[in-house]
Amino acid sequence: MTHFDSICEKCEELIQPYLDRELSESERLEAEAHLEGCGYCSKRYRFEVSLRRYVRHACCSEEMSPELKAKLASLRTPLD
Amino acid sequence: MAEAETDARRLATEARDRVRFEEEVLDLADQVYRVARRLVSSREEAEDLVQETYARAFRSWRSYTPGTNLRAWLMRILTNLNIDRGRREQRAPDMQPMVEGDYFLYNRLEETSGPADEERIVERLSQDSIVDALASVPHDFRDVIVLVDIGDFSYQEAAQILDVPIGTVMSRLHRGRRILKGELAGTAAAEEES
Repeated sequence: MTHFDSICEKCEELIQPYLDRELSESERLEAEAHLEGCGYCSKRYRFEVSLRRYVRHACCSEEMSPELKAKLASLRTPLD
Repeated sequence: MAEAETDARRLATEARDRVRFEEEVLDLADQVYRVARRLVSSREEAEDLVQETYARAFRSWRSYTPGTNLRAWLMRILTNLNIDRGRREQRAPDMQPMVEGDYFLYNRLEETSGPADEERIVERLSQDSIVDALASVPHDFRDVIVLVDIGDFSYQEAAQILDVPIGTVMSRLHRGRRILKGELAGTAAAEEES
């Protein structure tokens, strides 16, 4: 049984802001100490990091067209 | 004569500041577009929204305070315009009880295609399914995910951009990511069945 089927309360509380780099220094150290000692949370952390990276990659792959870029530049106030 | 000279100098300074502002704003265009593209559903809508944002930003350049966060300033214009466009109200789906915690998606991916390394298992999802799943997250939740995960804004910046308390950003983010994972778990199951 490799499923993640236990719920770690600590994890719920700290992992999201830890991933988002939104913890204070002392909270960050607490989160890291917890991750080191908790197999469930450290595995979950790696999953969350890779999921986020993957979502970001999938959602940022479409570049803006050169036409739009030119259009934006043309909206500038003309110089007198 | 001296007065005319002062006026001329003032105008020159203002023109220089404006040009600098416009250049800085244009340098951010790719980042603005990436966020816009995920806030709305089609490429055309995103292009319109970015154009409107730039037109308004150039018009109201004097309301920007130099030295403050220009990216957040622009994004605030963009999200306000997006809301003004009269987007349809969406109801958030009722949340399932936390029986499986946030690991519902992981477990589903394992069930459908066998065990894998937790860093690689996400690759079983197609990129299209990720884009579709994000698009199906209700607006209020999607806005914060897009700002934080794609726009790289802090909770505080997202709160200012959306004009909501920081606690609201955190709860919407948490809930929104869970909705996203729920959608992806559904996709994983559907892809397995087809």
